[in-house]
Amino acid sequence: MTQLILAIDTSQGTSVALLLEGQVIAEQNLSNSMAHAEQIGSAIANCLSAASKKASEVSAVAVGLGPAPFTGLRVGIAAAKLFAQGTGAVLFGASSLDAIAFDLELTENTLVVTDARRSEVYYALYKGKTKKQAPILVQGPGVQKLADLKQSLKEQGISYQLVEGKITASALGRLALAQLAEGTISSSILANYLRAPDAVPAKGKKVSG
Amino acid sequence: MMHQIRVASESDLSEIMEIEKACFGSDAWSKPTMRSELLAPHTHYVVAHDDKKILGYAGLSKPPSSESADIQTIAVLDQHRGKGLGRALMQNLLDYASTKSVTEVLLEVREDRPVPKALYESLGFLSIDRRENYYQPDGVAAIVMRLEIVSNPITEPVVLGIETSCDETGIGIVRGNTLLANVISSSMDQHARFGGVVPEIAARAHLEAIEPTLQKALHDAGISLKDIDAIGVTNGPGLAGALMVGVGAAKALAVAIDKPIYAVNHLVAHVAVDILERGKLETPTVALLVSGGHTSLLLVRDLLNDVELLGETIDDAAGEAFDKIARVLGLSYPGGPEIDRVAKEGNPKAIRFPRGLTLPKDQEKHRYNFSFSGLKTAVARHVELAESKGESISIPDVAASFREAVVDVLVTKAINACKDHDVPRLILGGGVVANARLRELAAEACEKEGIELRIPAFSLCTDNGAMIASLAAQKIMAGEQPNDLDFGVHSTLPI
Repeated sequence: MTQLILAIDTSQGTSVALLLEGQVIAEQNLSNSMAHAEQIGSAIANCLSAASKKASEVSAVAVGLGPAPFTGLRVGIAAAKLFAQGTGAVLFGASSLDAIAFDLELTENTLVVTDARRSEVYYALYKGKTKKQAPILVQGPGVQKLADLKQSLKEQGISYQLVEGKITASALGRLALAQLAEGTISSSILANYLRAPDAVPAKGKKVSG
Repeated sequence: MMHQIRVASESDLSEIMEIEKACFGSDAWSKPTMRSELLAPHTHYVVAHDDKKILGYAGLSKPPSSESADIQTIAVLDQHRGKGLGRALMQNLLDYASTKSVTEVLLEVREDRPVPKALYESLGFLSIDRRENYYQPDGVAAIVMRLEIVSNPITEPVVLGIETSCDETGIGIVRGNTLLANVISSSMDQHARFGGVVPEIAARAHLEAIEPTLQKALHDAGISLKDIDAIGVTNGPGLAGALMVGVGAAKALAVAIDKPIYAVNHLVAHVAVDILERGKLETPTVALLVSGGHTSLLLVRDLLNDVELLGETIDDAAGEAFDKIARVLGLSYPGGPEIDRVAKEGNPKAIRFPRGLTLPKDQEKHRYNFSFSGLKTAVARHVELAESKGESISIPDVAASFREAVVDVLVTKAINACKDHDVPRLILGGGVVANARLRELAAEACEKEGIELRIPAFSLCTDNGAMIASLAAQKIMAGEQPNDLDFGVHSTLPI
């Protein structure tokens, strides 16, 4: 059976790709980081029509699980869940930072960071690749101020190359294929928020004055 | 052989131009004009041919942003007229138009050409306008004709509704006016220790709940996704991050099963739910929608085309006020049921708490608006004052008096709206409808005023997916076109 993968990542903008037997046959990378709910439907539909594929031909869905700003990240995961349910495709999840690392050499320690807003970065440290070319995680993922992270790595005596990356669904799709081949892919689809919701438990009962 | 119709291509241009010149003489289009017409993305040109040559052609234009299509031209060689070629060409264009979501097809015909005009009339076109001296140099008038395209709506569409505007993940399924399933997964417990809905917690819970909730709804309805004709989804008003989960999921599902999607207004859907219980909505009706997120008065003259927001809260929603006062009184979350429980033992007239926006001076600007912040402060001060004096308070009396103040304002304003607009019906919606005193007072007041009161079952009053499916189904049955895939969410979506 031909393997047609729909890959979705909404960690940054809205990125959707179709991979046929491992080859990217359609891709939409929309950089607007405030329009995921608007763009996700047509991004998927446009990829399918550009590749002349029907939704029902998709055999697997791979979705980026972050870490990423929550509101956008959820749109991609929610879309992937119901697209998979609607088509009967298998659903897999993968780290969005791993997708960046997948296209890097990783011969040395490589620190991949993305914007986490609030002056912080999401990060993960990688070195080396598996036989199937999946990146090997050394530390993280985490969220921290970049200066603090650098200080911490310095204290640990770790030297590294810093990569500020752009996440694409095509890379995520190829990563998922590599992890699928070596049996390390996750079928548990939980968003990796890394931060607790901003909420303070109700204090006392005073509401006036 | 008999003639056949096929789509025109650029290689037909020379033959088409010969016919164009023969039929229209000095009025004929130039070859470059005809070429760009044939090749334009928004046109549809067809030719009628036999096994030797092209006998006639016709073209239609449908710009992407327009709901109208125009017949651009039609011509048949003189010696081949009267054989039904013109009709066949026209029918092909109309069939094409009917697949393009158009509501009307327009054309112009020379006033001095009764034969084509009769053909168009026989296809259902009606004359709607006359343009003097339209065809030059002859100075002949054009008759503008219009054919209304009535789409053929599915009579009883099976619609899946997705609701994620606040803390309930709701998925409902209806068939036309009939409820098939209504499954609600609430994250209420997760908000309890915060004393109110935390948007981020609600959004996270939607993401976890949406798939199992959908599965349960399909199971309850005894259908599979391939039985679904369309999807409805709330796109506002509500919490933006929460709405986005439902909208993202709904769009992907629509693409996955290749079915149309309808964006639905949450407040109007609260009214549409009545159809699932009674098979129809009696209009006009006033709707009082009261929940943790909304306190709104709607005047519904027509569910799809004429819903007016008469008023809403200018600060807290009524449900929020219940939550906050429950906290003041040391009761648990959600506050509504707790206050209801405690108030049973209390005297509603023990303390006269203020009724927001009911003074004569408020009547002009805020006759149908609500305010609960003053009431909330008054209750809190009452409690604090008693505490500072070392006096004990009767929690049942405070709860009953507070509840009475809220419910009194809600019912009074709703009844005013009915009387002012001469509307003999009131429908209640929203989670606060669970409040026993609200139902009781509304029933008393409506009976006294001769107003018919509708209170849907509680599972249909609280936020749910069935109401979304119901409103989407009404849109479909009325022939409304679906939304394109690019619609956004609007936390303050107007009616």
